[in-house]
This record gives sequence, C-alpha cells and structure tokens, in this order.
Amino acid sequence: MDNSSNPEKFIVNIGPQHPALKEPGHFEFTVDGEIVKNASARLGFVHRGMEKGCESRNYTQDLYLMERVCGICSHVHAMAFALGVEKLAGVQAPPRAQAIRELIGELERIHSHLLWLGVAAHEGGFDTLFMFSWRDRETVMDLLEKLTGNRVNYSANILGGVKIDINDEQKDALLKGMDYLEERTHHYMKVVTEDETFLGRTRNIGLMTADEARRLGAVGPTARASGLAYDVRVDSPYAGYPDFPVKLMVEPAGDLEARFVVRINELFESYRLVREIIEHMPTGDLAVRVPRRIPEGETFSRVEAPRGELVYYIKSNGTDMPERVKVRTPSLCNWASVLTQAVGHKLADMPMILAGIDPCFSCNDRMVTVNRGSNALDWSWEDLRRYGIEYYK
Amino acid sequence: MNLTINPIIALLIFPAGLALMAYSLVYEFVDRKLVARFQNRIGPRWFQPLADFIKLLAKEEIIPEGVNPALFISLPVVALAAALTAALYVPMFGLKPAYSFNGDLVVTLYLLSMMTLCIGLAGANTKDRFSLVGATRALTQLFSYEAPFLLAMLGPAIAIGTWNIGEINAGAATNWWFMLTQPFGFLVALVGLMGKLELPPFDAPEAETEIVAGALTEYSGRGFGLFKIGRDIELVIGLTMIASFYMGGLASPIDFLWKTLVLLLVTALLQSLFARLRIDQTVGMWWRVGVIVVLLQMMVIILGKYLGPFIQPLIGG
Repeated sequence: MDNSSNPEKFIVNIGPQHPALKEPGHFEFTVDGEIVKNASARLGFVHRGMEKGCESRNYTQDLYLMERVCGICSHVHAMAFALGVEKLAGVQAPPRAQAIRELIGELERIHSHLLWLGVAAHEGGFDTLFMFSWRDRETVMDLLEKLTGNRVNYSANILGGVKIDINDEQKDALLKGMDYLEERTHHYMKVVTEDETFLGRTRNIGLMTADEARRLGAVGPTARASGLAYDVRVDSPYAGYPDFPVKLMVEPAGDLEARFVVRINELFESYRLVREIIEHMPTGDLAVRVPRRIPEGETFSRVEAPRGELVYYIKSNGTDMPERVKVRTPSLCNWASVLTQAVGHKLADMPMILAGIDPCFSCNDRMVTVNRGSNALDWSWEDLRRYGIEYYK
Repeated sequence: MNLTINPIIALLIFPAGLALMAYSLVYEFVDRKLVARFQNRIGPRWFQPLADFIKLLAKEEIIPEGVNPALFISLPVVALAAALTAALYVPMFGLKPAYSFNGDLVVTLYLLSMMTLCIGLAGANTKDRFSLVGATRALTQLFSYEAPFLLAMLGPAIAIGTWNIGEINAGAATNWWFMLTQPFGFLVALVGLMGKLELPPFDAPEAETEIVAGALTEYSGRGFGLFKIGRDIELVIGLTMIASFYMGGLASPIDFLWKTLVLLLVTALLQSLFARLRIDQTVGMWWRVGVIVVLLQMMVIILGKYLGPFIQPLIGG
C-alpha cells in the first residue's frame, strides 16, 4: 500500500478535511482516469491518549472515560471494560443486570446500524434514504433517552452491574418503538435490494471473498457479509447473551449490497432480541459490590460492537488503578480490507467502499512507539503531555 | 406589445434583466423546498437563495495560484451572459420571445450548452485535483446528454415544420400536447435538462462525497455566485422550453406559471427518487437508452410527416 510522490501519478487526496469524511482521516487514491490504481491511508488525527489516561484514574473513573472512546458505540465500550474488571475482581453481575446490558447493547446496535444506513446512502448520493433512516433513528434515540436519561453516552454500566432499571411504561414504549422500526426496516430492505439505481452502486462493488476477509483480518458485519460466520455474541457469549442467544447473520456475496443486507438483517434480529428480553426479563438485584482495589492479574474481554469484535486487555497491579488498558476497536481491523477492495474500482465508488466498513476514526487512533534493542522508551504521563505541547506548538 | 418602455426600465423587467434573475431565484427556492419536503426535511426559507447570492457577491473572490486569472474571472461572466442571452429567444413568462429568427432553436440550445462548457473550462483552468476530475466528468456528461437532448427538442420542431421557437410555441398550442404524441421525446428532454443542470441523480460532476464541489471547488465569492445564478436561469429557460414545446405552448403568464411549476415538481420528485449515477452509468444510460429511444421517436415523426399525406387517402382519413 505504499505511496511514493511520483509526479507522473495523479493522486486524489481525500481528507483529512473532506465532505465525505465526518471524522479526520487521510486517504490517497492514485487514479488513472476514474480507475483507482493504488490506495493508502493515514490515521491518527484524533489521538486522545485515553489508554494512558486510564492509568492515572481509578476503575470507576475509567469506566466513565472508556464510555467516551466512541460516540456511537459508547455502551459496548463501557460494557467490555466492566466485564473485564468484574472478571479480575472475581465477581459476576446479577442476571437482571446482564439482561439490561444486552438490551441496551442491542438498542445501541439498532441506532448504530440505522445511522450507518443513512451515512452509506449519503455517500452514494441517495440523500432521501439518508434523511428517512436518520428520522427513524430518532425513535431509538428517544427510547434510549427514556431508559437511561441520555441519548448518546448512556452511562448504564457500573462495575458489578447496571444503574438503571426498566419499568412497565418503558417496556411499552420499547415494544411500540420496535414495531414501528421493524415496519420501516422492511421498507429499507426493499429499497436496498430492489432499487435499480442503488443496486447499480452496490451490487458487485467492493467484492471480498471469505478467504480474503480472513487473511485481511476483517471483523464484524464486514466479515459476515463475506461469508465469515464469526460473531462474539455467538462464539463466546457474554453478559446476557447465554440466556438470550442471537442468531448469526451471514451473507456469502461479499459485495456492498451484502454489507447492507447483513446489517439490516441484524436490525431485525435486534428487534426480536429486544422484545424477547423485555418479555423474559429476569428479576433480582441490579448490581453486586466490587472491591475498590482489584486483585493483581490480567484479562481479555471481548464483545461484539456494532462494527465488529471489540477487545479490551486490562492488567491490574493490585491497586485501585489499572496498570495497563489496551483497546482494540473493530474499525482498525477493517482498514486493510478497504485499501485492498479500493484498487480496480472507480473513484466514484470510493466513498461507499470507505463507508462500507462503517469506519469510526477517533476510536482507532493509537500512538505506538517502537522500541529497538536497548533504546527502550518509557513515557510517563508528564512526558506525553510535554510531547503533545511541543508537537502542536 | 405596443407599449413603449424606457430602455432602462425594460432592462430591469423584461426579459433578460434582474426580473429573470429574481424569478430564477424563486425557482431555485421552489426546487430546494420541494426536494427538502420529499426528503422529510424542512427546507430553506423563501429568501434563502437570494440571501446566498447576496452573500456570495459580497465575499472576496480568491484567485488560486496557477490559474489564468483572466479566464478565471471571465468564465462565470460568459456563462451567465450566455444563459441570459438564451432567454431572449424563448417565450419567457408566456410572452412572445424578445427576438426571433428562423433557426433560433439551434442557437438557444448552443447558448444553453455554454454553461457546461464554461464550468468544464473553469475546472480545467485550476490545478486542484477535485476540479480536474469534476471538469472531466462535466464534459463527459455534456457529450452524453447533449445529442439526445437536442434530438428531443427537434421532435416538435420537425413535427411543426419550423425551427423558430416562437412559431413552435404557437404551433404547439394548435396541436395535441406533444407530451402525449411524443412521450419519449418529452422524457428525454426533461431528464436531459436535469443532466444539463447537474441535478441529482446526474450530479456526478459535483458529487460532494467524492470530489467536494467538482469543477467549481476553487471558486468562491462572485464567480461562484454568478455560476450559481446562471444555472438557476438555465433551469427556468429549460423548463420554459420544454413546457412550450411539449405542453401545448405558453400563451399567457398563467400558462407559463402552472406548466413550468408542474415540470419543476416532476424534476424535484425525480431528484429525490434515485441514488447518484456514476459517470460511466450516466454515459451508458444516455447512449444505450436515451439516444435510441429518441432516434426511434424521430423516425416515427419523419415517417408520419412525409408518408402521412400518402397514407391518409389509403386509410380513408
């Protein structure tokens, strides 16, 4: 994917500031006429130092911080962190808390997928679908607000459980909302699979076989649209998923249309799950006590974010602050697939292929220092702060 | 019209003056509002296009490095002038064309093409990548819709037997609506107008998610404003021509108003119905479908016109 500044080449720069990108990222497409010959990406414009920030805060404060890694899938980050800390502390949240965690997780998936549907349609110049899907997304946003008090960072998790409960009025609102959304989603499914102009932009565009998807490390709906049957909710169920199992949605085609179909099918599955959880909500406590100091140890916790597998690595040193928190977000895994698919397609397809993985830029920006031999670098928080000030001077 | 109007007042009201500009801004508003309502949005307020235009005129015009400044400044003016000149030959507001001569149809159609040509040149004039890609696409699109659009406009002309817009307008009123007798020509003309104005789904030359603003990416301030209003005027002229050719002529301002507004409603509907076509899809559609349909239509018209008198006695008509 390397890109040299050869003057013979005609390079179209997309980003860091570009109408197609809602977050900063930089892409260089070498084009021959309209055909893309080479693609490269540069990330890291919105690095925020959150992993490092975790090390100087206690676990409760970290939960607050990790909820803000991503603006779209905030709940799933907090859930992954809470599950990891609970595992380290040797406690388990009560069943009702786990069910509520799953419920909010699925509502968040609905909101994320509807948002994506609109963004992807907008990238393809189909603004009507964009406006309609975002209008309907308001339904689920309102439901989340009704449940948790917030539209975006729901802050439903605490270490050891959840802090919100669900009453009958909220249940009714949820059921009504799901009915409305299901009806609308049937309509979107029809648009996505039957509209001729839209199919012209999605069918056989951005093809990726299952082998390629595995080789490039694709995750989430991107991988499932290429026929890779992999979903953390199914393969390694967490929170409430053992009690309320989810059906795996796979499409073998591997093109953009399949990515639309997989996500819309997941929407239907989420509606079903939300209804099932509401009807069979376990009774009991909402949280258990978690000690302030977490015993020494390290753990991985994996969850399925709307964009794919999200991995948290937490290492504790016996104090009330973690020694190390490492977040691997799904968008990072999918970049290689974008750059590979881009080659050979038309420039006009680039925005849709980019949007096809549902990229989230700010949550995948990390800083890496490579230690060569004995020249090891150990950066303290103060060092990083000074470096940041110097860098942007 | 036997009224004698002071030339300065005439310049302001009819036809290629400020009145036309103001009128075209109203049409831009109607178009934007309709599309917004179809998309479940609120849409702009009635004075928004005017406010945009005044703001653009007041802004500094930045001339980027590496362009030919004379060309950069003159292209928007030429584009606007061409659009305003074209207005002289069409029955604006349902009144008689200000000027007319035999064959002004062809001149008007070429004047309407000046806009795209100027936009293409403007894009090629700058060094910006997005502008260059946009200019290439604009000119590619020009070659794809221009021929079918021209043929579609010639349909009624041949049927009536004159290439004078004023006479076609008068002739269309005495016939059945050509929209009914030449439906394909009507469709191609309407969709061709959308291609000409780079309206969705034919907005590949200015697809914002790919190439920002296409050929006009480097334009700001006055130049951009002039291009914008030039395009609005073209929208009004295009709708006027199609309404007068295919919808039974424009005999009065009332006729003009409702016929063009109905056409605008249809274009707004078409704009919100489809996903953007890639440039190769646009070209393919025009040459594989548009041209063939219009040519067939043309053959039917010509055969009907020249064989009609021979056939009529045979079938007892």
